Amino acid sequence: MADWRALAFAAGVVAVVAVPVALALTDRHLAGASSALVLSTTAGALAVSALVVQPLLAREGRIARHQILGAVALVLVLVHVGALFAESSEDAWFAISPDGPTRARMALIATIALFGVVTLGALRTRLPLGAATWRVLHAYLAVVVIALGIGHAVLTDGALDDAGTTVLIVLGALGLLGVPAAHSARTRRARRRALPEA
Amino acid sequence: MRRPWLLGLLLALVTAGIVAAVVDSETSGTGAANVGESGPERAATPAPAQRERERGRRCEATESNPGGTNNYIPNAPPLDSLGSGFVITGLVRSADGCRALRDVRVQVWLATETGGEQDNRTSVRTDAEGRYRIETAPTIPQFGEPNIHVGYDDGDYGEVFIRRVVDLDDERAVVDLTLAPSG
Repeated sequence: MADWRALAFAAGVVAVVAVPVALALTDRHLAGASSALVLSTTAGALAVSALVVQPLLAREGRIARHQILGAVALVLVLVHVGALFAESSEDAWFAISPDGPTRARMALIATIALFGVVTLGALRTRLPLGAATWRVLHAYLAVVVIALGIGHAVLTDGALDDAGTTVLIVLGALGLLGVPAAHSARTRRARRRALPEA
Repeated sequence: MRRPWLLGLLLALVTAGIVAAVVDSETSGTGAANVGESGPERAATPAPAQRERERGRRCEATESNPGGTNNYIPNAPPLDSLGSGFVITGLVRSADGCRALRDVRVQVWLATETGGEQDNRTSVRTDAEGRYRIETAPTIPQFGEPNIHVGYDDGDYGEVFIRRVVDLDDERAVVDLTLAPSG
């Protein structure tokens, strides 16, 4: 039974990773695009998948993988942004300026929150924060990253339109629901560990 | 958690700041109106009666908007077209007297499947009615939204650099320019 569950989990992860990147790379907006834009699109689509898988890993209690994927998500976002700067630094600076469009404002805030949530994860035992405070901050920043990251992708024309938009909304909902689900699963695990001592 | 209300207050303030920052932004960037159109092309030249009414008046000059100079390279080469499937057109007038300006050079640049904004650029001149028109391949959303640039930078009038957006299925963008006296 456990094998089937692991297989279903792995199949789900493969689908979550493959569908957005496949849709994004086959869209017409990449017609004649430079390798920098192809790289940026690929990294962005993979980052969307990482955001959705992260709460699922936390829910399953796979914390080491959760930490590694958090770092991978941050690297993917940095590659996504770096490739846009390589394509056109003027457009990239404009996008994150106060005059930039809403989708870029969302992306900027989501990226800052992503730095925050990854830093919290990396420094968990070294920060002067209580466990409950740490969990609330981590979950809050995760919600900001997922909500604004998906919002950024939905408002962006080109890579994930039409069916891609539906995929994004479903993945975003999965990711957002995954945050309280991970919290509940952690609470259940803590109770189970405490029971024998009670 | 010793002071949960303090954490709650902090997160409420941060959330309010995030919402304000997002709501405060313009969907396509500051001043980037959607100028896309589809269907039959409308006349860009004012009717004679309108021209008569406007003679002697002063029209509001077009202002550059943020991002208008992105990827601008001076002196775009004059070309017959930048492909086919999409048209960029508009009327160029003087702010003084609202009169149509003939033989004024307008520069246009945009990303299409044939190249990015720095590669895909041309200069086009207005006709006797002050109208310019250039056919191009459809613009593609390399930076999240299909957008076009139109600029005037020849010194007889004040420089203007415009960034406007269109929808993916639009067939045409109409960008009129009203040029103020230079200096």
